[in-house]
Amino acid sequence: MKVENGILKGELKVRGGKLIKCRMKTKDDKIEEIKISGDFFMHPEEKIEELEEMLKGVELKREEIEFIINLFSKNVEMIGITERDLLRVIMEAK
Amino acid sequence: MEFRLINDGWRNAYENMAIDEAILMNGIPTLRLYKWEPSAISIGYFQSIEEEVNLEECRKEGVDVVRRITGGGAVYHDSKGEITYSFVCPQKMLPKKIMDIYALICASLANGLKYIGLDAKHAGINDIVVNGKKISGSALTKKYGNMLQHGTLLLKVDIQKMFSLLKVGKEKISDKEIKNVEERVTSVEREEGSTEEKKVREALIKGFEETMGLKFYKGELTEEEIKNAEKLRRKYESREWNFKR
Repeated sequence: MKVENGILKGELKVRGGKLIKCRMKTKDDKIEEIKISGDFFMHPEEKIEELEEMLKGVELKREEIEFIINLFSKNVEMIGITERDLLRVIMEAK
Repeated sequence: MEFRLINDGWRNAYENMAIDEAILMNGIPTLRLYKWEPSAISIGYFQSIEEEVNLEECRKEGVDVVRRITGGGAVYHDSKGEITYSFVCPQKMLPKKIMDIYALICASLANGLKYIGLDAKHAGINDIVVNGKKISGSALTKKYGNMLQHGTLLLKVDIQKMFSLLKVGKEKISDKEIKNVEERVTSVEREEGSTEEKKVREALIKGFEETMGLKFYKGELTEEEIKNAEKLRRKYESREWNFKR
């Protein structure tokens, strides 16, 4: 995995044209800090900060991240992106 | 449905966003039409200001930058090139599904545009297109038991300027990219509709009256809304808010 200044970056253009970006710091293969940004819609909006908090300390493994995203998405409505897109942008960050 | 109409003029970005949220807090059914002075960029709630905006160029041009409470993309609000609307009402007055709300409000806007000579349609999630090109974009949020949808109508568009203020992938903007956007974005002027502001405002109002059956009365902000907007303005001006993502 390529690391630039210790920050992993991912970007995903999804069907319909929305863009999701992910910036994260990892330590020992665990997420230390993460920001998910983009021009998508999520209701309620502030929940994104909850997701970022939930992902802290989580191992950067597909099934671990997927579990958190699935748990999280029960309480939000996403428009323009899906749970799968969120998972992809995180897993593809480098 | 009785709706308050606030036919507002120019305000700065922080005031505009503060007023939209103050109206949302109280939930008095309202349509506000307004403009931005100085010109400004609003970014979507989830966007990173540093990733989306060329801050140096904005400073140089005197363009303000503000984060919205609604999602979606970055928008350049030219002080002379657009009209912005905000639509607020209690959630119970509208359909439950967000896509149904977009459909209703966008249909009203599209319908109104026929009065300035445009054949407009709702397309995608929340765009309005004329001849297949985007002329208006919107975003909505649900809070305080109420909902707010705000959006822009492009009267004139200066793509070169828009690109110089926004970061659009590459540092240097190629002619091809400009052409690409020109093929996707349009304005009332380009589609040969009437850009006379009074007519545009009347057209939008008529659209809502016809499509949603709204009855408008002319109104102003209440004292409570003004007080709340004053407090909220400080949030929208703050570095903490604008740089939070």
